[in-house]
Amino acid sequence: MTQKAIVTEALTYRYGQLTAVDHISFDVAEGEILGFLGPNGAGKSTTIKMLTGQLVPKEGRATVLGLDVAKASKKIQAQIGVSFETTNLYEQMSAEENLKLFARLFGVKDVDISALLQRVGLDGRGRERVESYSKGMKQRLMVARALVNRPRVLFLDEPTEGLDPTSAQAIRSVILEERERGATVFLTTHDMLEADKLSDRVAFINQGQIVALDTPHALKQQYGKRALKAQVASAAGSLETREIILDRPETSQAVRELFDREQVVTVHSEEASLEDIFIRITGRGLA
Amino acid sequence: MDWRIVRTLVVKDVTLYFRNRFFAFITILALVAYAVMYFLMPNAVDEEIEIGLYAPGMPSGFTAQLQEEGVILRAAASEEALKEAVGAGEYPVGVAFSADILEKLAAGQKDQVRIYFSPNFPDELKDAYAIVFEEIAFMLAGRPLNIEASGEVLGIDTAGAQIPPRDRMLPLFAVFVLLMETLGLASLISSEIEGRTIGALLITPMRVEGLFAGKGITGVGLAFVQAVILMTVTGGLDREPVLILAALLLGALLSTGIAFMIASVARDMLSVIGWGVLAIVALSVPALSVLLPGTISDWIKVIPSYYLVDTVHRAANFGIGWGEAGQNLLILLAFALAFLWLGVIVLRRKFR
Repeated sequence: MTQKAIVTEALTYRYGQLTAVDHISFDVAEGEILGFLGPNGAGKSTTIKMLTGQLVPKEGRATVLGLDVAKASKKIQAQIGVSFETTNLYEQMSAEENLKLFARLFGVKDVDISALLQRVGLDGRGRERVESYSKGMKQRLMVARALVNRPRVLFLDEPTEGLDPTSAQAIRSVILEERERGATVFLTTHDMLEADKLSDRVAFINQGQIVALDTPHALKQQYGKRALKAQVASAAGSLETREIILDRPETSQAVRELFDREQVVTVHSEEASLEDIFIRITGRGLA
Repeated sequence: MDWRIVRTLVVKDVTLYFRNRFFAFITILALVAYAVMYFLMPNAVDEEIEIGLYAPGMPSGFTAQLQEEGVILRAAASEEALKEAVGAGEYPVGVAFSADILEKLAAGQKDQVRIYFSPNFPDELKDAYAIVFEEIAFMLAGRPLNIEASGEVLGIDTAGAQIPPRDRMLPLFAVFVLLMETLGLASLISSEIEGRTIGALLITPMRVEGLFAGKGITGVGLAFVQAVILMTVTGGLDREPVLILAALLLGALLSTGIAFMIASVARDMLSVIGWGVLAIVALSVPALSVLLPGTISDWIKVIPSYYLVDTVHRAANFGIGWGEAGQNLLILLAFALAFLWLGVIVLRRKFR
């Protein structure tokens, strides 16, 4: 039986009158990557803060690795890694010093700092002060810092936001490697494509509530529409687009008629994106 | 509490402290400057008064008696010569007695004593010199004059045990070193909040208590070590070293509590300096009671640093023991614990 790394039951948090997280319930299996998607202010970071012991839930409960977040936050924190949305490194220390500091705080003695830096593409830059790093390098170092204690659960809050493709790719590779190692990854992101590629399941959170939770494939099946798109040559010689919705009774007939009646130049199928589905479910975009 | 974690935090904070070029610079500069100022200041008290004198009727032995009192007499040939010498600044004060002064005094008559001051003679000392001359007149007459004088010793009675200026300043330098440290520690904590690294620390196994212990040890350690270095270099620990060390340690605790409070209200380094300077100025006021005894009222005792300055000053310069300093130390301890407690409370709220 698969163990649950994270379990929440009606988890709620309020900032004064504002309910940031509203009775959300979900679980994440060990070794699973859960993409936690939602627009700004939807409650993603507040959820992470509760799960990592930075905030005490106002209602409901949550466990991480079987431990109650409200009662055993320090025991949980010893076994998790967190990469924050905002850079919070010691800028006047080198990357190596930053990692060694946190390794000592976690009581880890045998961590290979060089290997860790290599994993995030910072090999050869470890002795430079962090203040000289670019945003992407800092973000990669934050992820490396989250790994110093070989966490069983990794919380990554917008780890690739605003990064160049190389930095983003380096972080995605680390996420997949960590899953291979057996770690559970709780990933919040705006990037639906990233979530689609990396996540075993995705949860959509909107206005503090989870509005959908499933595998990307199942969500597309349930909420998306697959289509066949063709470019055809018109009588005037210009190209026009034709779209046929798939998975319907009349689809076969429509495809046959397209090829019989039109001069088809190109044809390809198109799947609904997670963003399309999010908009369809919530009626709003991710911005 | 996990002391391994606290030690790690202290090492990190001390490293970062000295990597902040501004604070590393002012720390070393302040230590060197205070030590240099100490050694440049006079190490002896000038208790002699130089006075020009024209007194044709002066009895024999009069000069020798006055010189035993620390008065250097410069005899002038005439009253005109005396006025000329005082006007030229050869000596600051000149006094001229009448040739028949003794006879007049013996007859119970008053005589006029003329005192001449140099142009730049401080106003506030003129009265003091007038009293000196009344004293001289008394010695001439051999009986009290028809005047009533009363004296009051303000501050510590240092008659016969005057303190050289540099030794009077030494406790102040040590206290300044302690107070300056509030800036350094407050800046360290403030930058931790501003840079959000505090969040990263608190999701490790480190507890909030450990965080405060680490910051407290860093603050107390930096302040105390610097004050001890200064006092050792300048010989300030030659008398009652244990008592002075105890007072400095309590002072370091006090400055750490104040640093916590400053860090809780400051948003960046500039506001740390703003709040810090305000605190330093307020806490430096008791220093005036050492520099200018008698110029300050009892209200100054509500300022916690008074008990630190007073204890260090009297222990270093007059060798008071634990018995005399006990009350000061207890009050200082109470203030230090209160400020530390208050600092922890407000800073904890800020962390949240």
